[in-house]
Amino acid sequence: MVCRLAWRSIWRNRRRTLITVVSIGFGLGLALFFISWGEGIYSQMIDQVCRMQAGHITLENPEYREAPAVDLIIDDLAGLRSEIEGWPEVDSTKLLVLGQGIAKSAAGNVAAAITGVEPSVESRTSPLARNIVEGTYLDERDRNLVVVGSELARRLNLKVGKKLVITTNDVSGMLVDELCRVKGIFKTGSDELDAYVIQATIGFARRVFRMPKSAATQMAVILKNADEQEEILARIGGILPGSPIVALPWQKVLPEVASYIKVDKGSNWVFQGILIFLILFTIFNTLLMSVLERQREFAVLLAIGTNPATLRFQIFMESVYLGLIGVFLGVALGAAASYTVNIWGIDLSTFLKEGVTVSGFALSTRIYTKLTPKILVALSAIVFGATLILSLIPMRRVSRVSIVDELR
Amino acid sequence: METIVRLENMTKDYGLNRVVTRALRGVDLTLESGEFTAMAGPSGSGKSTLLNIIGGLDRPTSGRVEVEGRDLGLLSSTELSRMRRDRIGFIFQSYSLIPVLTVLENAEYVLMLKGVPAARRAEIVRALLKEVGLEGMESRFPRELSGGQQQRVAIARAIAPEPALVLADEPTANVDSKTADSLLELMRQLNEEKGVTFLFSTHDPEVMRRARRLLLLKDGRISHNGGVGHTLDAD
Ligand SMILES: Nc1ncnc2c1ncn2[C@@H]1O[C@H](COP(=O)(O)OP(=O)(O)O)[C@@H](O)[C@H]1O
Ligand SMILES: [Mg+2]
Repeated sequence: MVCRLAWRSIWRNRRRTLITVVSIGFGLGLALFFISWGEGIYSQMIDQVCRMQAGHITLENPEYREAPAVDLIIDDLAGLRSEIEGWPEVDSTKLLVLGQGIAKSAAGNVAAAITGVEPSVESRTSPLARNIVEGTYLDERDRNLVVVGSELARRLNLKVGKKLVITTNDVSGMLVDELCRVKGIFKTGSDELDAYVIQATIGFARRVFRMPKSAATQMAVILKNADEQEEILARIGGILPGSPIVALPWQKVLPEVASYIKVDKGSNWVFQGILIFLILFTIFNTLLMSVLERQREFAVLLAIGTNPATLRFQIFMESVYLGLIGVFLGVALGAAASYTVNIWGIDLSTFLKEGVTVSGFALSTRIYTKLTPKILVALSAIVFGATLILSLIPMRRVSRVSIVDELR
Repeated sequence: METIVRLENMTKDYGLNRVVTRALRGVDLTLESGEFTAMAGPSGSGKSTLLNIIGGLDRPTSGRVEVEGRDLGLLSSTELSRMRRDRIGFIFQSYSLIPVLTVLENAEYVLMLKGVPAARRAEIVRALLKEVGLEGMESRFPRELSGGQQQRVAIARAIAPEPALVLADEPTANVDSKTADSLLELMRQLNEEKGVTFLFSTHDPEVMRRARRLLLLKDGRISHNGGVGHTLDAD
């Protein structure tokens, strides 16, 4: 009956209660949506950079990260590769040769990352291969053909079909020159990639660097779902041969992306924090007001023998109901909004002609939200828990009502 | 007869600083069970103060207050709260019902506090509501009732736990004289048929006339304690 009393009491001031639960609902819904928006962008970002570069998990020589050099190779990968590719969580694997060099044309010379790739895998998995603005992407049969970034092409005044010379050191440190021809020009929107990267077939790269026939500097593992990274990383760790090879998460390979996300998430949480603070303020205000305006009623209840603890319990239950309805509404709104955008996405291309670049990484202009149960539960629990904590003040207030003064 | 209330040289002062109001200046009083007593006196004479102290809502400044032989000065606030729940019924001037509870729920509230099972509660309260003339209105809300009907619910709520004493502070002050009359009639009937002990305050001569015993309060003292007729004539 105390619960019934509490339930009906919150509906006594129907308008205020509605305003309160709707603002909890909207606030929480908004917070959930923004977080899922951020998560969506991060996961898209992670997925794209991992696909364009060295995968969600990178296998390489243990010394490569410290001092990248083409003589730090990994080899005899066929068995390992086919095993990993057989796992259902794995989208694909790819071999890479990553080296440095200088690209020269009649217009000048620039430093470049010479990247040997497997064109068939890249064209299936990498956004880079899909962002060719002139010419076409590589294929397996290409020998001295390369694709270059748009900015690098501009600096060297390159067009499709034009020649350039790549100068680099091979595995033994010998200086080598290689003449090649531009097959395509890509534009990813990432300044770093567009100004710096030259891609050729892995066969070409092995030849230039004079590497063994099946060697690579990296084997990249691309996952279907980036969230399964930890599990797969552990599984790979379990099957690595004795040969010098380590498996690294993308966070180690691309630390600047990882730390960007971390910082950005932090600032998002500050914003969510303010939103949640506003929600809690509304709740607190309602709880306190509703207690203050019922002082006389509480005095009557105390006079006829109600235990103050019973009264406090009533107020507690009122907060529970308010919190529950609000959180329920918020979860419904937030989940519905992020689910919709998760399925359909929101196309920002009309607003952002330039495309979306986050920290030098180009993203698709279609944003998909990502709401994990963990965030949903955590945020709801924070709002609900804080409601209960806030109810302590009106609860204390109620047991301090002066019966005689209120009844005068 | 059993003594329910005993006051000995009881005083009550209000105010902590320089302005002290001496609301009660030495009251001696005994109430026996089954009595039907009215307390009259001008506004500010200390009626409410006296009722509050007997009901354990307030504590006297000095003197002794006993209810059913228990010295209230020795009881903790929790014990006082329990005494009010179990042994005393309260009827206030007006607006003392919980607006979001129905007539039935209001009337059974104290029984709920006492832990009486729901079915038994409903049984007791339905019978009582019938007695106070509210049969068929069990599921109405207070705002759907007239002032007199609301007071009847308050009376039912007060007597439902079968208290030793019902204290009513000007229970008819906010209703018209006809309604006041019928409320008095009801309380009188409950007193005669069920033996409920009533102590109520009033300043309505019509109401006083219905009492069996009359106390007159003046400047914090009892100036008359006894029969009804004589006093009203002297008024
Ligand atoms: N809480 C209080 N604080 C200060 N003075 C009070 C308080 N309650 C009552 N009084 C004073 O005590 C006196 C008696 O009041 P009360 O018992 O309410 O009289 P009655 O009910 O007969 O009108 C009055 O002078 C009143 O102003
Ligand atoms: Mg009074």
